[in-house]
Amino acid sequence: MLKQPRKNAIPSIPALITFFLLSSCNPFSPTGDLKTFRVNLGTEPPSLDWSLATDHASFNVIANLMVGLTEFDKNLKPAAVIAKSWDILEGGRRIIFHLRDDVLWSDGKKVQAQDFEYSWKRLLNPKTASEYAYILFDILNAEEYNQGKIDSPELVGVKASDDRTLEVHLKHPVSYFLSITTFEVTYPQRQDVIEKYGSKWTEPGNIVTNGPFLLSSWKHENEIQLTANPDFFLGKPAIDKVEMFMINEKTTALAMYEQGRIDFIDNQSIPIFEKPRMAKLPGFKAVPQLRGYYYGFVTDRRPFDDVRVRKAFSMAIDRSVFPKILHGGERPATSWIPPSMQAQNPKIGLNYNPPEARRLLREAGYPDGKGFPQVTLAYNTLEDHKTVAEAVQGMWKRNLGVLVRLENQEWKVYLKKLKTDPPHIYRSGWGADYPDPDNFMKLFTSLSGNNDTRWKNPRYDQLLESAAREFDEKRRIRLYNEAQRILCEIDVPIMPLFTTTEHTVLNPRFTGLEFNSMARLFLREVRPASR
Amino acid sequence: MARFLLTRLLHGLAVIWVVITLTFVFMRLAPGGPFDRERRLPPEVLANIAAKYHLDEPWLKQYGRYLLGIARGDLGPSYKYVDRGVSDIVTETFPVSALLGVLALGFAVAFSFPLAISAAYYRNSWTDRSCLFLATLGVSLPHFILGALLIWLFSLQLGWLQPGRWEDLTSTVLPTITLGAAPAAYLSYLLRSSLVESLEEDYVRTARAKGLKEATVLFKHALNNSLIPTLTVLGPLSAALITGSFVVEYIFAIPGMGRFFITAVTDRDYPMIMGVTLVYTGLLVSANFFVDLLYSIVDPRIKSH
Repeated sequence: MLKQPRKNAIPSIPALITFFLLSSCNPFSPTGDLKTFRVNLGTEPPSLDWSLATDHASFNVIANLMVGLTEFDKNLKPAAVIAKSWDILEGGRRIIFHLRDDVLWSDGKKVQAQDFEYSWKRLLNPKTASEYAYILFDILNAEEYNQGKIDSPELVGVKASDDRTLEVHLKHPVSYFLSITTFEVTYPQRQDVIEKYGSKWTEPGNIVTNGPFLLSSWKHENEIQLTANPDFFLGKPAIDKVEMFMINEKTTALAMYEQGRIDFIDNQSIPIFEKPRMAKLPGFKAVPQLRGYYYGFVTDRRPFDDVRVRKAFSMAIDRSVFPKILHGGERPATSWIPPSMQAQNPKIGLNYNPPEARRLLREAGYPDGKGFPQVTLAYNTLEDHKTVAEAVQGMWKRNLGVLVRLENQEWKVYLKKLKTDPPHIYRSGWGADYPDPDNFMKLFTSLSGNNDTRWKNPRYDQLLESAAREFDEKRRIRLYNEAQRILCEIDVPIMPLFTTTEHTVLNPRFTGLEFNSMARLFLREVRPASR
Repeated sequence: MARFLLTRLLHGLAVIWVVITLTFVFMRLAPGGPFDRERRLPPEVLANIAAKYHLDEPWLKQYGRYLLGIARGDLGPSYKYVDRGVSDIVTETFPVSALLGVLALGFAVAFSFPLAISAAYYRNSWTDRSCLFLATLGVSLPHFILGALLIWLFSLQLGWLQPGRWEDLTSTVLPTITLGAAPAAYLSYLLRSSLVESLEEDYVRTARAKGLKEATVLFKHALNNSLIPTLTVLGPLSAALITGSFVVEYIFAIPGMGRFFITAVTDRDYPMIMGVTLVYTGLLVSANFFVDLLYSIVDPRIKSH
C-alpha cells in the first residue's frame, strides 16, 4: 500500500499570498568588491569589429576598449585624444592631424597614422561591406571606392604622410568632419592582426586595442570581461575589472541591481512602470538624449499634399502630454534639432493652437473635419508608440474633428511598407551618430534615403549644403535656423513630437561614470565613491 | 527490424529536406529584409552587403549554395552577429539549452510520475483533486508569470537564489522549475488518465485476485501498460525542451539557443532562421525515431505491424 500523503504537503493559497504581502522589500546589501564594476549591456554585441558594429551594445564595449583621434568634451565639441592637434587647410578641404607618439597598442606597439589610414580604407572597402561606410563619403574618392567605381585605395583621400601625420582630403569643405572623427567606426586598426585572424580578430587573445580597458573574456550571449589597461596613455583606470552582462529582460536586470549584482542600469534595465520609483533612488540621473521622435506626412498623398492640412495637424497636438503618458522624461519639441546640439532653437516650430488649426483646416476645405478623407497613421508595433499614437489620435479628434485610423506592423514589415506603400502619416525617430546638426537635418534633403515624406525643397537642400561648408558658428546657426523654419513651420513635412531621455542609476558606492547624450557609456573614470 | 529502422530513417531525412525547403521559401517571402534599418543604408552600401552574402544571386542558386553548405556541415554566416557563423552560435548555445532542457525534463518526470500515480491510485479523493489542481495550474501559468513569480519570491524576497544568468548549479534552479512546470503538469495529467483506465482493466482485477502484492499490481501491470501515451509525447517534448525556450532564456538571461527562434525571425537573419529550424527539425525527427524504437520494446505488437 502506498502511504497517504501528509495533510499539510500543499500550503494553502491564502497562506502563500499572506506570506508574499508580509515579506518586506529587498533587504539585501550590495555584493561585489570595489575593484569590479558590473553593468548590463542588455544584449550580445553583434560585433566588436568597429568597422562592422552598428548598435549601442557593441559601441558601448568598443568605447571602453579603444580611443580615436578625438572624443567629445562636456560641451559635445571634439577634443584631442590621439590627435594632439590638427590644421584645417584650403578653406576646409584638407585636414592634417598630428598624432601623439605615446599611445600604445595593447601588444606594446605604438599607434601610428598608418593604423588610421588602414582602418578608414577598410571601412570603405566594398568587400568589408560596412554599413557605416557612408560616414566617410565626404573624403575624396571615398564613395567611388565604396561603389567599386575605382579599384585602387591609393586614390582615396586619406594618407599617412609619416608615422605621426594623417592627411585627409575632402571633396568639399566639411565643417563637421572633426565630429566624425569622434565616432568609433573611425578608430584605428591593426592590419597585421586583422589579416592574421580574419573574422575572429575581435576574440579575446586575438584583439589588439589601445584604450583604457582590455578585452579579457567574451562568453557569447552571457558576459564580457574587461580588465584595466596598465599602459593606457592617460593612466590606468581606478577599477581593475569590468563585467558586462547580457540580460535582455528588464525586470531581471533590475532585480540584479536591487540585489547588488549590477552597479549601473539604464533604460534597457528599467521597466517603464518602475521609472517613477527609480527616480527616487540615490545615484539616479536623467540624461537627455540626442534622439528625436517625429511623425512624418507623406506629402504627395491627399489630403496632406496641402500644407494647410499639415500645419493644422501639427498645431492640434499638445506635446506637453508625452512626458505624462510615457513617464520617461521626454522633452516636448516643435523643432527638429535636439537640445544641447549646435543650432538648437526651441522657438522654431508650430505651437499648440487648436483655434488656428481649425481655421487652417476650414480654409483647406474641411470645416470641423467635414468631408475629410479616411487617413491612416502607422507605427511599428511597440507599446510606447501605441500610447503616443492613441493620444495624438484623440487630440486630432477633439481639436479637428478628424478620426484618424491607426495601423501597426512588425518592424521589418513596417520599414518595407514605408518604401512601397506608405501610410498618410508615419512614426519615426532618429538618434545622432555624431552631435552635429548636419546629422539630423540631412535626413530630409531631396536625395536622402531616410526621407519618407517624399517632400523636396531645393532651398532646404541648398541651406544644408552651405551650412555643411560653413566654419563660422554664427553664420552656420543662421543657416540652420532658416532650414528648420522651412522644415517645421513653413512646409511642415514632419511634426517633431519630443526628444528622449535616458534614465540611469549608478550604485552610490561608485562615482565618475559618464553616460552621454548618445547613450554611450564611458567607464574610464569610474572609481569607488569616497565615504 | 532493420527494414523498419531504415524506412524510419529515410522518412526522417525527407521530412528534414521538406522543412528546409519550405523555410527557405517562406522566410524570403516575408516582407522586409535583414538589412532594412531605421537608418536607411545608401544603395551602394546595400549592394556591397548583398554581394558579400550572395543575396544578389537568384533564389535557386542561393538555395543550392545553402544545401551544399549543409552537406559540408556549414550553416553559413549570421547576418546579425557578423563575426560569427551560424554553426559557431549553435555549437555554443545549444549545449546550454540542452542542459536546461534535460534538467527541466528530469524535473517534469520526477515530479509527474509520483503525482500521477498517487492521483490515479486514490482517484476522486482529495489527493487526486489536489494533483489535478496543481496540474491545471502548471499547464495554465505562462512561463513569464511563473518566472517572474519565482524571481520575486526566491531572489527579491528571500534572497536565496540569483534572479538571472547561467553561472553555477544554483542559477539553474529557477529556470528549470519554470521550464519544467508545464510539461510536469501535462505529463501527470496524461499519465493519470491512462493509469486510471488501466486500473479498471480485467487484467488488473485478475492480478489482484491472484493475490499479487499491491505494488506489483500497480507498477508492473498497470503502469507498464499506461506508458504508451506518455512515451508518445515525451519524444516531441524532449526536442522542444532541449532546443530551448525563448521566454525562459529571456527572463533568466540564459545564453541558450531558444531566443534565436524569435530574434532570428525579427532580425530576418536568414541563415540563423535556417540553422535553428534545422537543429529543431533534426532533433524532433530523431526523438520520434527513438520513441518508435521504445514503442517496439514496450509493446511488441507495434513492431510486428
